[in-house]
Amino acid sequence: MLTGSKTTFKVRQMVPDMKERMLSQSGLNARSRDMFGLRCLPGECVLQRAVLVRKKLTAREGGGWLAGTLFCTHFRVAFVPQDIPKPDDNADPVLLGDHDVALASIEKVVAVGPSRTKLVTPNSSLKFTPEELVLYCRDLRVICFLFDRLTPETQAIEITYTIAKTYQPLKPGTVLSFQNAALGSVEMKQFLSNRRKDTHMNWFESAADWEQELERCGAAGWRVSSVNDRFEMATSLPRFNVVPQKVLDTELKKTFAHFNEGRIPRWCWRHPRGSDLLRMASFQNNIYHEKDDIRNLELILFGGLSLCVVVELGEEMPSPADIQLAHSRLRALCLGDLSTSVSVPDDKWLSTLESTHWLDYTRCCLRKAAEVACLLRSGHLTVALQEAEDRDMSCVVSSLVQVMCDPHCRTQLGFQGLVQKEWVMAGHRFYNRVNYHRDNDKEEAPVFLLFLDCVWQLWSQYPSRFQLTEDFLLALHDSVHLPLFSTFLANCQRERCKRTQHLSQSYTPVNGWRDVLPRGSSPDPSDPTLPPVWDWALQYSGQRQARFTQPIPPPPSIKPLLNGNLNTNPDAHRLSDTTPVSVFLLSRGAFSCPANLLPWRSSSSGVYKKSHRRAPSSENVQALERLLKAWALTEYPHALTSNCGPQGPLDPYEPLLPLLLGPCVGVWRECYLRGALHAQAFSHPISSNHLHPVEQLAWEVQQLRDKLALASSKTDANPPAKRAEPRRTDTNLNQNTNNGTFLFPASRPQGLGVTRAAPPPTSINHQTSRGAPPSSAPQSRPSHKDNGGSNKHTFLFGHPSATEARPDQRYYPAPNNTKLPKSNGPSIGS
Amino acid sequence: MLSLGSGGGKSAKPSFVSYVTPEEINSEKDTPKEEKHPDLLPGEVVFCSASTVLKLTQDELSQRGTFGTLLCTNFRVSFISDEETGEETAPLFKNKLYGENDIPLSCVDNIYGGYEDKRKLVTGSQVKNKYPSKIIIHCKDLRVFQFALTFCKEEDAKRIFQGIVHHCLEPKSLKNIFAFSFCENTAFPEMQMQQRTMMFDSAEDWAQDLKRTKGSCRLVTENANFGLSPNLPQYFIVPESVSEADMTLFQGKGLPIWCWSHHSGCALFKTSNLPLQQEDNVPQSYMEKMLTAVAHNYLYSVKTEDLSDTLPTVQDIQLSYSKFKQFFFIDSTTDFWVSDMKWFSSLDNCGWLDIIRQCLQKAMEVVECLEKENNNVLIMEDGGSDLCCVISSLAQLMLDSYYRTLQGFQSLVQKEWVAGGHNFLDRCNQLHLKDKENVSPVFLLFLECVWQLLQQYGPAFQFSETYLTVLSDSIHVPVFSTFLFNSQHHRASILRQADSSHSQRGTLNCPTVWDWSVQFDCKAQQLFINPLYAEKPKLDKSMRRPHRPKHQRQLSLPSATFKTPPKKGFFKDETDSLKKILRVKRISRWMLSPDSPQPSSTSREFYEAWQRKPLDYHGLLLPCLDGPAVRIWMQRYLRWIQEVQIFGGGLVTVLSKVSDLLDEVQELQRQLDRHSSSLTSNHQRPRPRPISAETDSRLSVLLSSSFPFTTLKNNWSYKPAIPTGLLQSLMNSGNLADTEDDDQESLVRA
Repeated sequence: MLTGSKTTFKVRQMVPDMKERMLSQSGLNARSRDMFGLRCLPGECVLQRAVLVRKKLTAREGGGWLAGTLFCTHFRVAFVPQDIPKPDDNADPVLLGDHDVALASIEKVVAVGPSRTKLVTPNSSLKFTPEELVLYCRDLRVICFLFDRLTPETQAIEITYTIAKTYQPLKPGTVLSFQNAALGSVEMKQFLSNRRKDTHMNWFESAADWEQELERCGAAGWRVSSVNDRFEMATSLPRFNVVPQKVLDTELKKTFAHFNEGRIPRWCWRHPRGSDLLRMASFQNNIYHEKDDIRNLELILFGGLSLCVVVELGEEMPSPADIQLAHSRLRALCLGDLSTSVSVPDDKWLSTLESTHWLDYTRCCLRKAAEVACLLRSGHLTVALQEAEDRDMSCVVSSLVQVMCDPHCRTQLGFQGLVQKEWVMAGHRFYNRVNYHRDNDKEEAPVFLLFLDCVWQLWSQYPSRFQLTEDFLLALHDSVHLPLFSTFLANCQRERCKRTQHLSQSYTPVNGWRDVLPRGSSPDPSDPTLPPVWDWALQYSGQRQARFTQPIPPPPSIKPLLNGNLNTNPDAHRLSDTTPVSVFLLSRGAFSCPANLLPWRSSSSGVYKKSHRRAPSSENVQALERLLKAWALTEYPHALTSNCGPQGPLDPYEPLLPLLLGPCVGVWRECYLRGALHAQAFSHPISSNHLHPVEQLAWEVQQLRDKLALASSKTDANPPAKRAEPRRTDTNLNQNTNNGTFLFPASRPQGLGVTRAAPPPTSINHQTSRGAPPSSAPQSRPSHKDNGGSNKHTFLFGHPSATEARPDQRYYPAPNNTKLPKSNGPSIGS
Repeated sequence: MLSLGSGGGKSAKPSFVSYVTPEEINSEKDTPKEEKHPDLLPGEVVFCSASTVLKLTQDELSQRGTFGTLLCTNFRVSFISDEETGEETAPLFKNKLYGENDIPLSCVDNIYGGYEDKRKLVTGSQVKNKYPSKIIIHCKDLRVFQFALTFCKEEDAKRIFQGIVHHCLEPKSLKNIFAFSFCENTAFPEMQMQQRTMMFDSAEDWAQDLKRTKGSCRLVTENANFGLSPNLPQYFIVPESVSEADMTLFQGKGLPIWCWSHHSGCALFKTSNLPLQQEDNVPQSYMEKMLTAVAHNYLYSVKTEDLSDTLPTVQDIQLSYSKFKQFFFIDSTTDFWVSDMKWFSSLDNCGWLDIIRQCLQKAMEVVECLEKENNNVLIMEDGGSDLCCVISSLAQLMLDSYYRTLQGFQSLVQKEWVAGGHNFLDRCNQLHLKDKENVSPVFLLFLECVWQLLQQYGPAFQFSETYLTVLSDSIHVPVFSTFLFNSQHHRASILRQADSSHSQRGTLNCPTVWDWSVQFDCKAQQLFINPLYAEKPKLDKSMRRPHRPKHQRQLSLPSATFKTPPKKGFFKDETDSLKKILRVKRISRWMLSPDSPQPSSTSREFYEAWQRKPLDYHGLLLPCLDGPAVRIWMQRYLRWIQEVQIFGGGLVTVLSKVSDLLDEVQELQRQLDRHSSSLTSNHQRPRPRPISAETDSRLSVLLSSSFPFTTLKNNWSYKPAIPTGLLQSLMNSGNLADTEDDDQESLVRA
């Protein structure tokens, strides 16, 4: 359904063509799925192969060169290192190995000969034998293969050709054939459909998911409405939306018309101090405001609180076109391009960086989010993000606010839930913005990548406050460029549901939304089911997934979430005494209350006027501003005086406010500069058998612990009770490693929804409690330990700016950890 | 003398001041009763003071400040707050010589007089028409102070203004530098051997270094009393074949001085250029002779590089730096936001980063000649003691891991800079001479380059970024003999005079800067050590036989090639017989033009070849010099600027976690030991403290990214939490000025 029938036709034509060139009959080896040492996906066939190839490893992979065999299938360019252990036939299929690159993410193929370089296109011919093959990828990686002198010349030429012919740059319709190549086989479909979702994260797909989130945030007064269950109220909204309890569904139905695309104000998140974050599209003008409607509109917008601040995201924020331009400039700057060989002189690098405006845009988003975070923190108001369409910058800002304010969103699973909530379900138009099909360049804009960059900026300033790591952000960044995931291949939940055929025979809407979709989009049985991006095991080995989270959790937060409301003295922040229900506009960093902010209150509608004649005075504007300011100036010293106390700045709900001045924002080197050949020296090759000091340290801690445990078990007559104490931190750590969801040691009282699986705090000192947490990836970490050599991180701790400092101190779980029962259903690691 | 400072602790309320007439205040050391004094150092004398001076914060928004007394002594400008210092949280990183509100006189960079709404640079103590209401002091360590004089008596204000300006800006003689009166009155505990920082003031040190690098050159001791030339160091090393007659010929100019020997046998020499007289053939033939002598050192090959031609001049350096530093002198927070818009491009435009890049690049070329081609290298420069020092010490730092240890680095600075005759006194302008021609932050440039290396290869360095920052600050503390003299000869002659005049006290003994206990206590000195250093060196026996069996518990990367590099030289295979051919560059070629350097392509190859090898933290290190790789030394330049301090974030938190890990390893080790001992004695189980890094890591989160330089208090009180746009709009919205603030009561609207 995602492509028109025309393209599908093309695809079908292509397949036999490929088969002619296939090296092997996949049928023969289909059972073992092992061809020349390459473990193929079901149905995948090897088109070309070259032996004695060396791959240049990036700094992150440890640097240096790796010898092996290069393959080109019609799905990926695969590289199998020489002495890799024989793959296990029974293991689940993995789409991409650690050294593979999907054809779909290749952007350019460049062959480097003895004296020249050439951009290889499907139609071009090579007049020389390439010595080096450089693949430029869309995700800014540059992958470099070096042919040995002993590589047969024909192999080198042929594989270059094959890659150039099959990757099909920018051609509409190639995506589907690519998806078919990867996921189209019967076995693969079966495998995918049997795969179960990771239940540890919130998918926000069912009403229960939303209720769980409401509960986690302690948001009273809100309910989940299923009025949009069949997408008839607003096509781009999810089925379930959170609205104030006081508004009944029947009343709610009437409000949709007042907003662009029917995107009514919806609840996103509640700050523990009792303010709610909403987002909405712009108001629909030219509509008559009935009296009843007005009551409901007000209710939706204010959610029972007396103060609402509308944050206008239109004018100050970069437009999608701006973002696209900035990103393409940044790309050009960071990718030292072999084919054009225009490089920026070193002494002009920073100026050029500035002129891309990319950093300006990240700053802009972060600034807006920080403002909103400050507002929310003051308590007892609703903040409604308003954007014309509510599908781009609203996503960025609302999710950034939550990353800043909510420690849960800084865990891997929490962050995944956040993306589900604010992007996937809220209807960010991933499909158009990423433009996989190359059919609508005007819509293309890497808004989501901008968001990831913003998160990275936060991460680099506060590395110790995140449970997720840069590796995770990178993995997400790269996955966006891979058109395989349902997460990114649709514009809204309705399209996704359509794809998974939930709607196929259910209901035919009167409004004819079917026309919106391309004709012939009825679910094609040949279309593969697309997995969600969060199924990381499809792309990354357990070892690499283990690096998605920090092994040492951020400092524990002592303070529990008291029914989601931390505000001990709400009156201090309550502004409701002056005006009963007031609304302000935050725009360009200042508050105002324009008369027509809410169209139904403006004079033309006339109905509202009588009850609320008094316009909010300027006094109140100042009060608001003072509120913001007071926070900036007074709260910190208070916290300081009690800095030995439990909260201080460690109050987990203090927003992480990013510093946005020039020196504080940086380039995400690990992402943008990892491919640039000249930048590979940022982290130098580390010889393979050395661990980084930090890893070694963590390893040593573990060793000592084991020894200690051994020694103490020898001495102690009654081990359980007595051993517990020295191993206390160990217990906590184990939980962290096992579950991957715990940001906090288990000593923290429960409150966040995600820690629901945590053992009761009383049992932490007890030996037996270590078996309690569900083990999602226990087997990955010990393997880390065994072959630390292949597990090469690159750390640069000497850096002054935190850009490359990575808090990767890794603890390894105690060996007895591996014996934990693998329970609780499927999970990421399994 | 110390009794003078006794009054400091008992601070009175602000109101007391009005009872004291200016005469009383300024009657200098005789009325210590009500005077507020800092804890004066021995030998420190108060020149003038003024009370009810308001020290303003940088935060223009609030115009808050602290009342107190401003003093000018012969060592510093000092501000003593009237407010009780209260709990005194015992700052972890406290300089014993001067506090956070003190400015050593030679640390003053510029003084501005603040008039109503504009400020004017003060150039001399003669004030034409009107005394300013504000003194704005820019310090060389990039602090900015603003003192409002509007509240103190007019005579006081005049006097203190004049006093400060006079003592900070007017030229003075070397004798008046505080070090001399300080050292007269202090007995230093004889440097307690400093764990062997080689001072290179004795023949043994030189001999030892020569032996360490297995060089085969000749140690010259004839200049011990500067009989040969005052321009030469007391002791130095020259190629074997240089005769004594040659040494005296041009007062040491043109004489190749040995810096370092590569393990292959080739060596690095430096020299100062001979005056070029075209008609006269003598210098040229002399130079030719010297070159041959250098070439004789190893395999008859020599490469020369005239740094005066290929690198920026000292004036360029000064110019670029003075532009660069302006970005960091933040009078008010708004300034910073204005500059913020063009932050990156203005960095590019001032060219400072590019100068750093050029120096590192040049050093890399030198390294290439030594390491890859095994040529002898002779670097030369007009004076022979500026860029030569930079390049030779950088090259040694890249090649020799000994110099990346703390002691090694200090020895390197002693060897190349102090003994090598860098004109510290002139370059740093310690005497406040009006003639700024000689002033140039060359040594700082070197530290910048070292910092670049350090940030790229952290684990290779035993010392930390903080160490470098503190060292760069210490240049402007006029106490240390290290930075007070132009050369060893200069030092000797001055000290001799001083000795003769103060013969009763014995020899004058200024501490060197390496005597860190003068400035910091042990705990603070811990911060000089990089916790991630890849190998912990022995504290004694220095690095002479460095490759010990690996006994260190952690952080010990296997160091296969610590001091046996010949086996591992990357380019060893290239030492073929061709090398044996005599390869002296034609002298004419050298004289006429530098070897038309187009290094970028060749040294690029060298770099890439090196990059392909696994990184050995104890082997050769080459810096990456690409655009994004050369960065700002954030800690040094941004540490005082509140706006860019990441509170509870930044690298510090990561490093502190590492320290926690280290502690934990130690703790576990201890427990294990106890266990094993209890195993034998079979006694009651020791009660191991649960290794709670919690409290520590909790504290660590309290640190800001500019730890250890700003104290928490400062940090908190006016951290702008709301980003740019909002705050600016708040400022526009008029006097919303705060009403309550706990630790700073005084509120002023100026």
